[in-house]
Amino acid sequence: MQLRLEKRPEPSRVLLYGAPVLAVLLTMVVGAILFSLLGYDGVGSVLEIFTRPLTNPLKWQDLGVKAAPLIIIGVGLSIAYRANVWNIGAEGQYVAGALGGTAVVLLTMNMEGPWILPVMIVGGILGGMALAAIPAFLKTQLNVNEILTTLMLNYAIVQLLYYLLRSPWKDPMAFGFPRTKMFTADQSLPYLWSGTIMTWGVPIALLVAVAAWFLIGRTVFGFQVRTVGSAPNAARHGGFSAKQTVWLALLASGGLAGLAGVLEAAGPFRQLVPAFPTGYGFTAIIVAFLGRLNPLGVVIAGIVLAISYVGGEIAQTTMGLPSAATGIFQGMLLFFLLAGDVFVRYRLRVVSARPAGGTA
Amino acid sequence: MTDLVPRLSLRGITKSFPGVLANDNVSFEVKPGEIHALLGENGAGKSTLVKMIYGIMQPDAGEIRWNGQAVVVPNPKAARKLGVGMVFQHFSLFEALTVFENIALGLDAKVPQRELEAKIKAVMDQYGLRLDPQRIVADLSVGERQRIEIVRALLLNPTLLIMDEPTSVLTPQEVEQLFVVLRQLASEGCSILYISHKLHEIKALCDTATILRGGKLVDTCDPKVETSRSMAEKMIGGNLKSISKPEGRSFGAEKFTVSRLSMAGVGHFGVALKDVNFAVRAGEIFGIAGVAGNGQNALLLALSGEEIAGGASIIAIGGQGIGGLSAKQRRLKGLASVPEERNGHAAVPDFTLSDNSVLTARDRLGLAVSGLIRPNAAKKYTRDVISAFAVKATGSEAMAGSLSGGNLQKYIMGREILQRPEVLVVSQPTWGVDAGAAAAIHQALVDLAAAGSAIVVISQDLDELLSLCDTLAVINEGRLSKSMPVAGVNIEEVGLLMGGIHGETGAPHAA
Amino acid sequence: MSPEFIVAIVAAIVLVATPILLAGLGELVVEKSGVLNLGVEGMMLIGAVTGFAATATWGNPYLGVIAAAVAGAAASMIFGFLTLTLSANQVATGLALTIFGGGFSALAGKPFLGKTVPAFVQLFPDALALHPIWRVVFGYSPVVYFSLFMCVAIAWFLKRTRAGLILRAVGENDQSAHAIGYSVIGVRYMAVAFGGAMAGIAGSMFSMVMTPIWAEGLTAGRGWIALALVVFASWRPFRLLAGAYVFGAVMTLEVHAKAAGGIFSALPPEMWAALPYLATLLVLVLISLRRSAASSAPACLGRPFIPTA
Repeated sequence: MQLRLEKRPEPSRVLLYGAPVLAVLLTMVVGAILFSLLGYDGVGSVLEIFTRPLTNPLKWQDLGVKAAPLIIIGVGLSIAYRANVWNIGAEGQYVAGALGGTAVVLLTMNMEGPWILPVMIVGGILGGMALAAIPAFLKTQLNVNEILTTLMLNYAIVQLLYYLLRSPWKDPMAFGFPRTKMFTADQSLPYLWSGTIMTWGVPIALLVAVAAWFLIGRTVFGFQVRTVGSAPNAARHGGFSAKQTVWLALLASGGLAGLAGVLEAAGPFRQLVPAFPTGYGFTAIIVAFLGRLNPLGVVIAGIVLAISYVGGEIAQTTMGLPSAATGIFQGMLLFFLLAGDVFVRYRLRVVSARPAGGTA
Repeated sequence: MTDLVPRLSLRGITKSFPGVLANDNVSFEVKPGEIHALLGENGAGKSTLVKMIYGIMQPDAGEIRWNGQAVVVPNPKAARKLGVGMVFQHFSLFEALTVFENIALGLDAKVPQRELEAKIKAVMDQYGLRLDPQRIVADLSVGERQRIEIVRALLLNPTLLIMDEPTSVLTPQEVEQLFVVLRQLASEGCSILYISHKLHEIKALCDTATILRGGKLVDTCDPKVETSRSMAEKMIGGNLKSISKPEGRSFGAEKFTVSRLSMAGVGHFGVALKDVNFAVRAGEIFGIAGVAGNGQNALLLALSGEEIAGGASIIAIGGQGIGGLSAKQRRLKGLASVPEERNGHAAVPDFTLSDNSVLTARDRLGLAVSGLIRPNAAKKYTRDVISAFAVKATGSEAMAGSLSGGNLQKYIMGREILQRPEVLVVSQPTWGVDAGAAAAIHQALVDLAAAGSAIVVISQDLDELLSLCDTLAVINEGRLSKSMPVAGVNIEEVGLLMGGIHGETGAPHAA
Repeated sequence: MSPEFIVAIVAAIVLVATPILLAGLGELVVEKSGVLNLGVEGMMLIGAVTGFAATATWGNPYLGVIAAAVAGAAASMIFGFLTLTLSANQVATGLALTIFGGGFSALAGKPFLGKTVPAFVQLFPDALALHPIWRVVFGYSPVVYFSLFMCVAIAWFLKRTRAGLILRAVGENDQSAHAIGYSVIGVRYMAVAFGGAMAGIAGSMFSMVMTPIWAEGLTAGRGWIALALVVFASWRPFRLLAGAYVFGAVMTLEVHAKAAGGIFSALPPEMWAALPYLATLLVLVLISLRRSAASSAPACLGRPFIPTA
């Protein structure tokens, strides 16, 4: 007996949208089993992680705060992955965005005016783009694989962050702690309503998703990205430049990761500290896949992953689950998604290798 | 020989794939020492049938008998154990490995290197197949590669050798050398199952011919008795439409000129173009013949603008140099092209047909305006193509990859032709396409030429070029021969040009 | 420089280089079969925690290493099932394995935080390792000698054996190998399992030999460096050996920079910490400049195999 894939004549519509839902459910079931095997209360933990953030209205704001950067980065990665450009350096580009924004902050410490925040945001986007430009250059000019280069830069940029915080950017009044000064009011992202912790990051994330959805679906730019990713030779035949697409994909995903970084620095953090990188850039990879590389799907996926973050934090205090447990969920979610993706386009057939009859 | 037990006997073999009945109750016999042709068009079910004999696929129903015994062939290893050898149409070779390693991989048992080297040498000497075992396959010609496959098959002392379209990539001279080897094998008692759709080869070589059409067995006959015409009718089943080409056409002024085109090879093993020159007049169909892998791919890429070969003056439409322009800009100047590979080059298999229309028609037909795609315009144009070229598809939103080869090719040709290009460059327009679709494509090309466009057809099918084109040139190792009017063309000369006059050619014999 | 200092530096280089070499050798075999498994880092972490837990439980480091190999191979089978049986995207699946491995190891290792495990007993008699210079040859953990042995064994396997030839053939042209009658998926499963076992052993080096304690994420991206080194080595075992030791030297610089004094101590420590990653980047650039490098990659690398027949 043998398993064999058989191509469906047309992709299955049901599975196209059903697979992500199924993947989330399977992750919860298998997660519960795995946790039980490791000696935790499996079912309780899974319920705690996946339902508590939704049933407790106090946590809804947290969901928004966590989902916004995941959505912004995830949208950028969807564009890159559609172009078959494997940017896994979003974490570094996110840090670079925060560094770019903070550079503006330090230059404008004694200034005032509503223009400061937009300049910071531009600085953040440019910071993310600048870091993404390195792998773009290496890929287009020297044909260096972007997977490894984007990944290596994650590690390097974090060291740059540590260096800046330890020495040139350190707040002299911080009692030796490696951190910058607090951002001023003009340098911070305002709250949506007073008394909440929701900043303008949330509507910006939604705006980014809608804009990207239009860009991918309706513009020649989006068509170019999809074509280069799906069939590079056909893209060349259609007159699209592969190199240009690599640049665009990396600059778009890097710029959006940078945007998320500066919004995070100017929003929830309001200063730069060594604990700034929290792995959003890696989680956003899963967000992008869970959202089917569709910007609107990414919004939903960003919320799902935000639930796992917030729920993980709750379970940490209530059930003593280590924070790394969310990594298990995220990894499994991606496994199930990738498996489900296959069944959108193929069906699995059990074939017997040896039909009845004599032997050779 | 009739009293002998057949070496191979097929009884009621049936095999279906989703949506296709590839073989329908096929029965025939191959005798010892017989050269047996399996004749049929592309898609007639020949390849599926031999894959079942060689154990790559299993029949849904029916029986395979080997020397009178019913057998099941679960895999190629079992087939080889029985004594079945196979030389594939698409070679199963490993480019980065040596000739010796490739041969060793084809053997099921581990043979010590010394012993294997001696055996290889013996087989090569016996059949006059010359090869250097230490060379890397990537550096070898197509003919040499086929020799590896043959040596590999012969080392197992087969009693049935299956040859799947062995001559489609060979020059006429190489074909003649191959026939010498096959006749020698048959005289030694080895049966040969020879798959082809080339009638003159079958008449020259084979003792018996089994003809398949649409998966069914039509006839088993003696090709020496049959005429080429009678076999062709059985093969095609009266579907053959002749191309209605207006006689005595006059051509307009030179519309498409290529002068001194040279370009480095594309990719690791690509063939470079060397000083290619030709001119096509308005209304003319210009054919470029040649054996696969002699620079056809590079030529198409250089003409379409997917590769930029040099200055503006190298390629010109109506006297205006376009050699420096990109593919997109060349389309706007009226140059359309259809590459050989349908899936992934001419079309994106995972896209809908209307998205595939946007791919090459967006600028000329305004399917995208100022950076925005107009989906309704794309759908309408796609529906026009589908109806004008009788494409069998569920509609403009069908995935390109869900279409059969022939229908996808009709769509692609239609997509370019309905743009009314000034110049159309197509490669292998009917490769892997059924006869009906091929006739429709040929007719569309003739009609486009009649409307005043200049057309370049690159094909490995010499018969196609001879019936379709007005003028012919041959490409060999990246060089293009002088142009010849098809009316007065000498086949012997074309064959020599295809083999390269300075190339590796044996003494030519008329077939 | 005293002999003790040289011995210390050489020992440090060997210690840092060995896990990269082990993981790289495993990945080299995987890639030669045409599969790109980016989950090396995840498999290393799973191996690290399993090796540590097994040694802590059973008290025998050899059993620990074997457990690490089994765990790495088991983890690689998740990847194998998805990419080989289901033909899922290899890049994304490898990433998922790395994310999963990080989470799993952290969770499974939580009870072992702060504990220590018994180390390997010296492989060679003390007499041989008595003089400091002899320690350069005889003073290492058995895993170090194992890594060197595997380097030779893999080179021999790929070049001289029929099984190695079949493995290379599958990586060069999967459709042809299938047409001849070799089980492409079967060969690839075995290669992936081997790569997982080697990554598992490599991971156990971190928790059992280098710092005999368990800590979350203790492999610190070395799995990715191993991946880069396979490219650097043009898929050749002895070049991988050289590459791993050069990298070991670069990484050891960080520790010994201060002791060396002069210009080295003037650079900020973060610069040293970033050096391995920047050096990897540089190496990738350098090999891209060598034209033949790209063409020496297995032709089917990273492409899913779905038989056309």
